[in-house]
Amino acid sequence: MRVLLRVLAPLLGLALAAVGVLVVVEVVAAWIGSAGTTGSDGVIVPWPSWQQTLDGLVWATTPVRITAIVVAVVGLLLLLVALAARRHDVPLRPPAPDVTVTTSPQALARMVGRRVRAADAVSSAAVTASRRAISVRAQGWEPTDGGTGLAESVRGDVESLLDDLPLANRPRVSVAVRRQAGPR
Amino acid sequence: MTAATPDPAATPSTAARGSAVGLDTPPPQAGRHARRAVARSAGRDRWLVGLVGVVLLLAGTGAALLAFGIFGTGRAQRSVLDPMIVDALRAQPLLWRIVAIVGGLLLLVLGLLWAIRSLSPERRPDLALDAGADTTLTVTAAAVADAVAGQARALPGISRARARMVGDERDPALRLTVWLAEDADVGEVCRRIPEEVLAAATDAFGGRALPVAVRIEADTEEGPRVR
Repeated sequence: MRVLLRVLAPLLGLALAAVGVLVVVEVVAAWIGSAGTTGSDGVIVPWPSWQQTLDGLVWATTPVRITAIVVAVVGLLLLLVALAARRHDVPLRPPAPDVTVTTSPQALARMVGRRVRAADAVSSAAVTASRRAISVRAQGWEPTDGGTGLAESVRGDVESLLDDLPLANRPRVSVAVRRQAGPR
Repeated sequence: MTAATPDPAATPSTAARGSAVGLDTPPPQAGRHARRAVARSAGRDRWLVGLVGVVLLLAGTGAALLAFGIFGTGRAQRSVLDPMIVDALRAQPLLWRIVAIVGGLLLLVLGLLWAIRSLSPERRPDLALDAGADTTLTVTAAAVADAVAGQARALPGISRARARMVGDERDPALRLTVWLAEDADVGEVCRRIPEEVLAAATDAFGGRALPVAVRIEADTEEGPRVR
């Protein structure tokens, strides 16, 4: 969303500037025209013909309704982009007052994924992470000797990594496992 | 965690090194400057895009409600360019022309400023060091970045590192991004960056402790299996 915001922001700025130029040019041209000639067609924008069209158009018509809905939807989308474009950093405990340490949810997910996949009993794993929660979906083999179950083992690995990471807030960990059939 | 967490009071952090030049108590805004250095701020763009969105949403919703007759069927049957409003505008043409021209100029200036600021690259201020009364000593932003990134790359567990100066000449800050190797001990790296990299940088820059934002990334060698 931040990339979209970076693209949208200068485009909207230029659009506003263009509207400003058009307003100034047309108003000044109409002002000068009204002092001399009559029946001007507009310099850049054919606003007299737009004026005639709008004169004959009432609010309760389909084109007006559709235009109003489209404008509202575009506004809502812009608002959602602005709200969703915040940073999703995962803060770590600062080692000094003038130092800030952060990581990204993707990097945290990769670290967790590496730790989980390093276990012999895990054949594959997918991880989703944020500053509040880590979700692991792992596939692997249950122990045959009656030892710790796969889910507990994976959770233990994640918790051990979180012990090593000086995260400012410890995220919630959820683990879902799928038992793999066949030999290792 | 806890075992690997460095105790700021017990480690030679940048703040502690700064005490040699009278920076034993970091200024209260240091933490804020460090947080601001984490990434380029998108606050202004978010605010303005949100404002444009709200204006369009309110205008579109109001027009739709009017068009669907929520404010009365009589109003919905009136012309979009209401003769009452047109007459009011025509009653004082000079006033409304001036209002339109001023509004257009404001839109032009604000729109251009917004576009220019959004497109302009982030600044990389040089670092001015205190070298005496008659001497000015400036370390270029590129030199600072190379020195700090080189120090960081030398740490075990870090495969890549990139540093850059951010902020302005009065309040410079440092942004350091490190990529962890697959076999990295994350806690150890987190502890050693301020102890070794940032402390060495502070020494190299004459004891001047900069606000620092450290960004930790994980190197991708295993494909996009996570999101």
